[in-house]
Amino acid sequence: MTSQTLHEPAIELANLCKVYSGKGGSRLQALQGVTLAVRQGEVFGFLGPNGAGKSSAIKSIMGLITPSSGSVRIMGQPATDPDSRQPVGYLPENPSFYDTLTAEEYLLFVGRSFGMKWVTLRQETERVLKLLEIWDARKRPLRSFSKGMVQRVGIAQVLVHDPAILVLDEPMSGLDPLGRALVKEIILDLKSRGKTVFFSTHIIADVEEVCDRVGVILNGELRAVEEVREVMAAGVHGYRLKIRDTESGEIEEVTIHRPALSGYLHGLTPRKEILLMEPVRRNLEEFFLELVKGAAAPGPEAM
Amino acid sequence: MRFVMFITLKGFFRDRLVHGLLISLVFFAAIPSLSNLSMRQVTELSITLSLSMISVLQLVLAVFLGGTSLWKDIERRYAFSLLALPFSRGRYLLGKFLAVALFTLGVAVVLGCVTCAVVTIAAASYPPDRPIVWWNLLLAIGMDACKYILLSSFAFLFATVSSSFFLPVLGTLAVFMVGSASQGALEYLGSSEAATMAPLFKRTVSYLYYLVPNFSAFDLKVNAIYGIPVSGRGMILTLLYFVAYLGAVISLAMLLFSRREMK
Repeated sequence: MTSQTLHEPAIELANLCKVYSGKGGSRLQALQGVTLAVRQGEVFGFLGPNGAGKSSAIKSIMGLITPSSGSVRIMGQPATDPDSRQPVGYLPENPSFYDTLTAEEYLLFVGRSFGMKWVTLRQETERVLKLLEIWDARKRPLRSFSKGMVQRVGIAQVLVHDPAILVLDEPMSGLDPLGRALVKEIILDLKSRGKTVFFSTHIIADVEEVCDRVGVILNGELRAVEEVREVMAAGVHGYRLKIRDTESGEIEEVTIHRPALSGYLHGLTPRKEILLMEPVRRNLEEFFLELVKGAAAPGPEAM
Repeated sequence: MRFVMFITLKGFFRDRLVHGLLISLVFFAAIPSLSNLSMRQVTELSITLSLSMISVLQLVLAVFLGGTSLWKDIERRYAFSLLALPFSRGRYLLGKFLAVALFTLGVAVVLGCVTCAVVTIAAASYPPDRPIVWWNLLLAIGMDACKYILLSSFAFLFATVSSSFFLPVLGTLAVFMVGSASQGALEYLGSSEAATMAPLFKRTVSYLYYLVPNFSAFDLKVNAIYGIPVSGRGMILTLLYFVAYLGAVISLAMLLFSRREMK
C-alpha cells in the first residue's frame, strides 16, 4: 500500500446513477446521484428497504453492472479495472458456487485467483473453514450443503485471501442465530484488525452492534450517512429514574424529558434517593423508520 | 484464466452429460459386428461408423457443453462471485472456452484410440483390399475436433448475449447446419442448375458464404475411409482458417460479455 492509497477512501462513489432499461422501453432509476466515501478501516452499514438500490450500488462497486453515469473507485482505482478488486473480498446476496466442487476446492480456487502462495493458501483455507465451522464438511460437494452452509462458504471465500476491503451483500441472510453471532464476531475482529467492511443488511440491530457509520438509501437516493454512535447519542430524548423515599421506603419510577432533567434533579428533596437513572433513547430502527416514512428531513449526502 | 479453466474442467468430469457420453462408448463395441453386415467393405464401414459416432458425440458436446457452460454460470448465479475476482471478464470467458476446447480435444483423443481399436478388430475379421492409412484416420478425427471447437465458440458467443438456454443451444445447431451446407450451396450457385437465379440472390448467398463458417473444409472422412492422400497445403489453409475464425468469434464474444450487465 503506497502512502497515497493510505489516504484514499477505501470505496468512493461519485454521483453514481444507474438506470435499468426494460422491455417495452420501460426504465427504472435504481440509483440517483449517490455520493459516498467509505473510509479505510471503518465498518459501514448500508441500510435500505427492498428495492432501494443497495444491491445495485454493491454491484457497481464490484463491476458487475456499469453505472449510467458517475464513477466508482476502490482505493483510488476505477472499479472498471479488474486490478481494483485485488484487495477486495465480495459476498454476493444469496451466494451460489460451483456445486460440483467441494468447499475446500472452491476456496483453493479463490485463493489461487488472488495469487496466493500454495502453502499459505492451504493454511488459510484450513483456518477459515474451521472459523466458519464447516471444516468437517470440506470434502463434500457444495450441492449437498444447506443454504446456511453455503452462506458460510461465501463468507469463508471472502476471508481466505485476507482482503483489506470486504463488501458483503446481506451477510447474515440464511444464517441461524449462532451463525449470525459468529459473523458479527468476525466483523468485529476484522474491524479490530483495521479492515474496511461495507455491508448491506435489513437487520438494524446488526448495524447498531458492529458499524461505525450507517448509510440509508431510499428509492435509489442516499438519504443519510451518520455515525452510529452519534445517532445513538442524539437519540436520547429523556431519562427513566427509579427513586426511593428514604423515610417511607416507597420506590417510584418517573420518566423525565431531557430538557427538564436538570430542573427535576434540583427540585428533589434530600430524602429522595436516586436508585437508577437510564437514558430513554430513540434507537437506530426508529431513526431508519423516520427516514423511510419521510418524517425526518432528507439529510445531505455525506462524505 | 487457467484457474477458471481447471475448475471448469473439473466440473465437466463430474457432470452428468459427460457420464452419459462415456456410457455411449458402449455403442462403439457394436461397430465391428455391424460392419460385418456390409460383407465386403467391413473396414471402410467400421471407419465410417466410428467417425460418424465421434461426430455425433462431439456435436452433442459442442451444443450442450459449449452452449450451457457460460449460460449455467449466469443462470445459477455462479458468475456473481466469479466475476468479482481480480481478472477481467474476457479472461474468465477465455478460461471457460479453453476448458471446453481442451475437453473436446481430450474426448477426440479417447475416441480416436477407441476407433483405432474398433477398426483393428473389424479389419482382422475381414482384411481390407487396400491398406488402412492410420494417419488419415487420425487427421480426420483431429480436424473434426477443430470443427466442433469452432462450433463451441458460436455457442459461447450466443451465451454472452442470451439470458435463456434456447439461443445458445438452438443457435449453435443452426450454425452447424448452415456451416455444413455452405460449401454445397456455393457450389450449387456456380452450377448450370442455378443459372436462372436472380444475380442479387446469388451475390447475397456468396457474401453469406464468407460470413458463415465452412465446416466442409474440416471434413476428411472420405480421405480416412478410402486412404486418399490429404493435401498438406489444404490442411494448413484450413488450420489458418480455423485460427482466424475462432479468434474473431471469441474476440466478439469477449467484447459482448464485457458489456453484459450482471443484474
